[in-house]
Amino acid sequence: MSIAFKSPIFDVKNLNFSASGQDILAHISLEIFHGEYIAIIGPNGGGKTTLIRLLLGLEKPTTGNIKIFGKDLKHFKEWNKIGFVPQRAAQVDQNFPATALDIVRMGRTSKRKLFSRESEEDIQAVDDAMAKMDILNLKDKMVGTLSGGQRQRVMIARALASNPEILILDEPNTGVDIVSQQNFYKLLSKLNKEENITIVFITHDIGVIADDIGRLFTINQKAIICNDPKAALSCEDMSDLYGISAHLVHNHKHEH
Amino acid sequence: MIEMLSYEFMQRAFLAGMLIAILASVSGTFVVLKRYSMISETLAHSALVGVAVALVAGYNPLWVAVVVSILSAWLIEYLRSAFALYSDAILSILLSGSLAVAVIIVSIGGEFNNSLFAYLFGSILSVSGEDIATIFIFGFIALFLLLLFSKEFYFIAYDEEVAKTSGIRVKLLNYLLVTIVAIIVALSIRIIGTLLIGALMVIPTIAALQYQVGFLRTSLLSVIFAVLSVIVGMTLSFYFSLPSGATIVLCVLSIFVLSLLINKK
Repeated sequence: MSIAFKSPIFDVKNLNFSASGQDILAHISLEIFHGEYIAIIGPNGGGKTTLIRLLLGLEKPTTGNIKIFGKDLKHFKEWNKIGFVPQRAAQVDQNFPATALDIVRMGRTSKRKLFSRESEEDIQAVDDAMAKMDILNLKDKMVGTLSGGQRQRVMIARALASNPEILILDEPNTGVDIVSQQNFYKLLSKLNKEENITIVFITHDIGVIADDIGRLFTINQKAIICNDPKAALSCEDMSDLYGISAHLVHNHKHEH
Repeated sequence: MIEMLSYEFMQRAFLAGMLIAILASVSGTFVVLKRYSMISETLAHSALVGVAVALVAGYNPLWVAVVVSILSAWLIEYLRSAFALYSDAILSILLSGSLAVAVIIVSIGGEFNNSLFAYLFGSILSVSGEDIATIFIFGFIALFLLLLFSKEFYFIAYDEEVAKTSGIRVKLLNYLLVTIVAIIVALSIRIIGTLLIGALMVIPTIAALQYQVGFLRTSLLSVIFAVLSVIVGMTLSFYFSLPSGATIVLCVLSIFVLSLLINKK
């Protein structure tokens, strides 16, 4: 994939983050460009989620610089250009009084003007987001009654409802079954290719996504950026990243 | 019913009671969903400090209660965001602290004990014309702000961090919500009383949640439950000479138990 785009969406320079005297992230420098499809992998506690939280302004860096859409993070205001689906997305509170539609509508909240009612544009955007995620039939269902995979699609539809330019997903497959996971990756790929939405997501499922992604960031305190994910996913690199010995496992289909 | 409403003080109490029921249940929905139910109890006790100060100094208790309650709400929100303290611990500390201060102030001006009793448990007889005006002015401002930012409050209650990352001014709105709750709690203490206002804020929403319907219907159900409890509670209180606050709370508790039974899985 060519990455000769205009200025990067995220421009991170020499980012350091430490908490309680421990270095969580050190010397991270990276750029994320329009139209990219990026996966972030790394061991638990390696700082993947922290990196995302720093990018979204939920944590303050100890030192370093983050620019979003060319603006310093401190002065950045157009947050609805960014859609965020957090780690616990599929594990919603069972009793929370929300239909799938209630949740997707939240995606328009920050766009609305004071004193204004839901506009035609809002209704259309919510409808489009639900159609893209194929959840129009779940509109009036309570989120607490949906399956993990369905909830995941509701949460992504909420993020899409603000018509974001970039979608950031933190381990979105937690609590989702295998079939839904596979459909999910197809969907992400479609959003990237057909809607030209930049996708950044954290995952453990390296094998499933390797064919599709453009770049791979491996994070274990430090960041290693690989422009060729397939080459990067060799055993040596994985052993290095996770600090354990990795072996290639071939999956054979059993024919009867 | 008609006989009861021929008394001017009952008309006042009904008017104030209904507005408070609406305010308490609408704000209560957000408070409950934010897992912040205890805040109404703490603010009610802070309001009591305001009442005690006003009784000793000779000011209108309702006004001073509103001011002290708001200051306390801001302190809670500040402590919650600035220090790594547990929210429930902060609420608990301020609740007992406020009560201690109120009791000390009242004991200094001992003769006011009877008036304070009315604020602890609510007394419809004590609602004056000036109180009605105060309740309506502040009440309508609070209701207007609640409705104006209801979408934002709902989003924040659902997920504070996601709301923040989508550009909602979470910190400012959190301060606004606690300010509104503080006003409502302070206004309520004439009718419901400090010790019982928490129930009118929290129980209608918990009862409405049992029906597992969307946000709008949950809010509406919670308002209906609260208003119904106030109407029935005040009527029973009038005819059987019972304390208004306690009677209202028993009504809302009955609705909660009924809702639990109806929706039992």
